Amino acid sequence: MQPTHTRLDDSAKTDDQTLLDVKDLKTHFFTDEGVVKAVDGVNLSLKRGETLCVVGESGCGKSVTARSILRIVPSPGKIVSGEINFQQRDGEAIDLAGMNPKGREIRKIRGGEISMIFQEPMSSLSPVHTIGSQIMEAILLHLPVSRQEARKRAVSMLDLVGIPRPSEQLDAYSFELSGGMRQRAMIAIALACEPQLLIADEPTTALDVTTQANILDLIRDLQQESGMSVLFITHDLGVVAEIADEVVVMYLGRDVESGDVDSIFHNAKHPYTRALLQSIPRYDSRENRRLYSIKGTVPHPFARPNGCPFHPRCDDFIAKRCDSIDPPRHKLSQSHSIRCLLYSAADEALPNEDMLT
Amino acid sequence: MKDKSEIMLADSIEPLLEVRNLHMQFPIRRGAFRRTVGFVKAVNNVSFHIRQGETLSLVGESGCGKTTTGRCIVRVYEPTSGQILYKAEEQEPIDLAKLDNRNLRPFRRQIRMIFQDPFSSLNPRLSILQIVGESLKVNRVASGSDLEDRVASLLKRVGLRPEYIRRYPHAFSGGERQRIGIARALALNPRLIVADEAVSALDVSVQAQILNLLQDLQEELNLTYLFIAHDLSVVEHISHRVAVMYVGKIVELATTEDLFTNPLHPYTEALLSAVPKPDPRLRNKGVRIRLEGEVADPSNPPSGCYFQPRCPYAEDRCRHEEPAVREIEPDRWVACHFAEELNLRGFEAIGQSMKR
Repeated sequence: MQPTHTRLDDSAKTDDQTLLDVKDLKTHFFTDEGVVKAVDGVNLSLKRGETLCVVGESGCGKSVTARSILRIVPSPGKIVSGEINFQQRDGEAIDLAGMNPKGREIRKIRGGEISMIFQEPMSSLSPVHTIGSQIMEAILLHLPVSRQEARKRAVSMLDLVGIPRPSEQLDAYSFELSGGMRQRAMIAIALACEPQLLIADEPTTALDVTTQANILDLIRDLQQESGMSVLFITHDLGVVAEIADEVVVMYLGRDVESGDVDSIFHNAKHPYTRALLQSIPRYDSRENRRLYSIKGTVPHPFARPNGCPFHPRCDDFIAKRCDSIDPPRHKLSQSHSIRCLLYSAADEALPNEDMLT
Repeated sequence: MKDKSEIMLADSIEPLLEVRNLHMQFPIRRGAFRRTVGFVKAVNNVSFHIRQGETLSLVGESGCGKTTTGRCIVRVYEPTSGQILYKAEEQEPIDLAKLDNRNLRPFRRQIRMIFQDPFSSLNPRLSILQIVGESLKVNRVASGSDLEDRVASLLKRVGLRPEYIRRYPHAFSGGERQRIGIARALALNPRLIVADEAVSALDVSVQAQILNLLQDLQEELNLTYLFIAHDLSVVEHISHRVAVMYVGKIVELATTEDLFTNPLHPYTEALLSAVPKPDPRLRNKGVRIRLEGEVADPSNPPSGCYFQPRCPYAEDRCRHEEPAVREIEPDRWVACHFAEELNLRGFEAIGQSMKR
């Protein structure tokens, strides 16, 4: 199988290695009951060929962030402010946040330069079209090829994602495939036009561990082959440890901590990140049979706490500071930044470093 | 919580529940006359026992029959054949598999279930008082203000505020709903709880809260759990013993310690190696076993050992002869011809640096 990678090689020559740079993105939902600030100031940046994992609990705005990038936020959601800078193949940088979500420009990006795969393959694939016609649709929309060439390419895509007997499976419907195969078919559709960026929204959550391991391997192999970047959204920290280069931890629509995967897992600073890591059942925690759990629950979206959004649940909460001052982003090192008043003020308030080890 | 070894040594403790050769088949019907053209053998000759105060986990991929087994035990389904021997307090064991609804009633109070999805398992049109209190009312255990008091104390026990008694499920988050489901299961002072993927739909931090709650309740009330799950790190955390199922059969059953450090069935080894380890330093380290192909079709299983088409160690014998479940050591069952010869890797061998 030989997909054409020439175009990618050209674009890789540009000096700037940053493919996607999201700055202070705010996406709010204007409902009848009030404004839900689903994403309220998210920063992330993704380099070419790298994998960025966005982690957080349900309702923290990770999916909305992904959808904001592709401009497929469902109504009544709107991007209120912020920038989504994306390097196109031709080297030109554009701000996706400023585009008309129904316009011609963004439609060229969707599926062509940025593709997305979803959690539940059964509900995101069309049950009335064959797998083949769904792949060909994407190809014909974005590439100047004939139907026959598109079909050939579709077969080679199915082969690439490891679907057995690809030319036969091209005429299969989504309900005829198993969960793992459906997810492979969806990856084939997403990759048909060799996107520069693949957004994967919990692509393995609905799968069994064995199938999940296969799909993660597949995404990694394809990434190595094509050099695309992957924005991976998940709540499973095990998956993050397996595939991420960089990690962004989100809480209530904010990036509370971001850094390379080693810093996040072994040198986590934010109390929320630490709490998350401590609440996973681990093999080496068998002496201590009780799991750490964060007190309280994620607040209701209308009742956003003042100051640091995590302060009502935080063990290291400083009265009169955390509940009134909105923590700014603070760089701990070149690749590690955090939003927490324990760190941005002075070093004296550092919590115990040995908590995790 | 009871120490694992304590439970292991407690062979003298009589099993609370013993399942013997349980079969559950579902007919496949086709055509205008709904003719039966075959059977899906969802549960195929499953035997195990659970001791009082113990947590036994059933693990396996989707479609392996773990939920069906759980549902047979709470008698949502009537098993095709086999025995489900339940030992009620100060009584001889009774076979639940054959009882009709009327005679089952006293046992329905003692064996309760917690469901996976906290959103669809609570009726949105009933208040918490009605949801949790329903079984108390139906069984004429309590009524009126007594009922309210009991529901309030149940809510307190599972960590919810008793003032919430008149609220409806939509006002609660996923974790809180799961607590309501647990309160409902506890209402009639059960002895055995079948928890079907009770924490799978929850976020890690909420999952930790619910796992802690389940362990506390076990300690306080001497509950016995049949814990059905697919997440192996959760299973490792909560269970005393683990049974691994594949296409309707138990392929391995052992204490948690044994199963995770020294698996004897190739399928167990593959499952353990597929679990993502929450430590980036372990990436690309250790051995990964990637299973080829798909889970076998339970209506048309392969010859010999069901796992044979995907097994990296399969030999000719596996293709012809179906391995029986053997007790290799006390309390350790495995269904593999080569269980003694294979040197399979456990969780630790897969992630050496896990222990710092």
